[in-house]
Parts: sequence; structure tokens; C-alpha cells
Amino acid sequence: MADVAGTPGGNLGGANVSDLLAPLASGEGVVFLILALGVVAMSVVCMTRRNPVSAVMSLVATFFGLAGLYATLSAHFLAVLQVLVYAGAIMVLFIFVVMIVNREESTLVSLRGIPTRLLGVFAGVYMIRVFAGIAIPAQAPGPLPALSDSFGTVASVGDMLFRQDLFPFEAISLLLLVAIVGGVVVSRSARKESDAVIAADKRIAISHLSSHDSPAELSEVEETSAAAGGHH
Amino acid sequence: MPTFYYLILSFVLFLIGTTGVLLRRNALVVLMGIELQLNAGNLAMLTYSRALGDEKGHVFAFLIIALAAAEAAVGLAILVGLFRNRQTINLDEANLMKR
Repeated sequence: MADVAGTPGGNLGGANVSDLLAPLASGEGVVFLILALGVVAMSVVCMTRRNPVSAVMSLVATFFGLAGLYATLSAHFLAVLQVLVYAGAIMVLFIFVVMIVNREESTLVSLRGIPTRLLGVFAGVYMIRVFAGIAIPAQAPGPLPALSDSFGTVASVGDMLFRQDLFPFEAISLLLLVAIVGGVVVSRSARKESDAVIAADKRIAISHLSSHDSPAELSEVEETSAAAGGHH
Repeated sequence: MPTFYYLILSFVLFLIGTTGVLLRRNALVVLMGIELQLNAGNLAMLTYSRALGDEKGHVFAFLIIALAAAEAAVGLAILVGLFRNRQTINLDEANLMKR
């Protein structure tokens, strides 16, 4: 119990519990508490709903709460991005898919493979123990460093992104391109595609038919479009 | 606000997301659990960024958001493909590669 996986300060005894709880009484603390409780409650609701639409809606609420938390961490740019990209774009994608595949579940949770799940529980408990050693400080935390006015604004984050981290930025744009192509390839329907090819052949044959109006070519065009499998 | 409050919140969110991924069998809810996990990671990034006064964590969070968008796009496309082939989004019934 003395040392948890080599992380220092694994025991709670180092810091006074009242010292650790004192910051919650301030105005900032109340804002944090409201946002944190809202986020946790909404994410629990999201994970336990049978109806996928209400799950998506509570996930949107979770993301709005997280955007508020980002703003309290002076990450203004990321807070805006969270609302725009997560609550806006990604959740709209989820809603569309819910509309395509709206199936109610018969069983809420599946408990197949109990031994593996038990292993998971033990791994989770170990993870909690190790994480507590990292997150809970050994003594009462000191004041946070003072920040410049531009911390977390579009200008300063963009400056860092384009000067120091240009390669990861370009790499992620390539990843997005691959995701777009992959999404199209995975979700297309092979049958509809061959139907579309046949229809296109038919259209080409008809346009040939209208431009060259001689009987010889007409029969030739009919042969090719019949070979493509279309009906006349 | 001290850093460890945010870290504990981040960990709780990650646990909720993991529980959803492991226990739920609806592929949509599993994808939402993954989004929750990614957001918990983002929160930890921004917390340490604030605690150290370094904006590197913001860049990481930006990249994670882009990654989450890509993951959602491909994941949902796979889900639609699964539904088209098997008429189900229950992950216990998605066993084509087992047989």
C-alpha cells in the first residue's frame, strides 16, 4: 500500500481533506461544481438510454457542459471548437445515422463472457488506484501560474499550430481526407453502383442514337446497350 | 480551481465512457462512449495546459477533435454498412468474421 506502481504520493494521507475541498466554496468552485455535475449526469444518461435519440441529445448536453469547462480553463478557442465541431457537426452525423438505423434494443446491457468482464473490473480498480496517486496531490496545491492575456485565443493557438506544429497539422488534414474517402467507400452500395453504371451506358447509347440517325448505327448501338444488360 | 478537480472529472468521464463501450451492445452507443473517452482525454490535456501555462496541450486537443471527427465518420459508415448487410446494429450479432 506504500507505493502504487511507482507513482509518488499514492496515499491520501499527505494532504488534508479540508484543504483539498476548500476551493469549492469560491465562486469559481460553484461554477465548476454545476458544470461538472451536469456533465457527469448527462453522460450517465447518455450511456443508459434505450432510445438512441435521447442518448444523442444528452451527449450534446454533455459536450456543451464540457465547452463551458474548457472556457473556465482559459481555452476559449477550444471551447468554441467543441461547440462547433462536436455539438454541431459530429452530433448531426450521429442523428442522421440514428434516422437510418433506428432500432430499439431488446437488452440494455449484454453480460456475455463474464470472466473477461471480471478481468476488466480488476483492471479498472487498479487503474483507479494508480490514477488517484497521480491526480490527488500530496500537499495542498499551490496557486496556478499567471497567464498572458492571449493564452488560449485563436491567435496564439494558431500561431503555435502553424509555426511549431505544422507537420502534425498537415498530417491530420491527410487523415481527414482518408476518412472522407473511407467513409464513402465503406458505406456505398455495390448493387446501386452497378445499376448506376448500366443506366449511364443506356444514356450514352440514347445520345448516340439521337446524334447519328442512320439505321446501321442504330442497330449497333442497340447491340451494345443490350450487352450492358439494360432494357429498352 | 486546483488541477486535480478537473483530473478527477476527466477520469470519471473516461470511466463512464469505458463502461458504455464495454457493456452496451448497440453500436451507436458504443461509438458515443468512444467520443466520451476522447473528450475526457481532451479535458485532461487542457487541464495540464492550464496548470503548466503551456499551450502545447491546446494543439493536442485540436488534433484530437479532428481525429474524433474522422473516427466518427468512418465508424458510422461501417455501422451503416453493417446495418445494410445484416439488418442489425447489435454488436453480438456482428460475427461474420468468426465463421
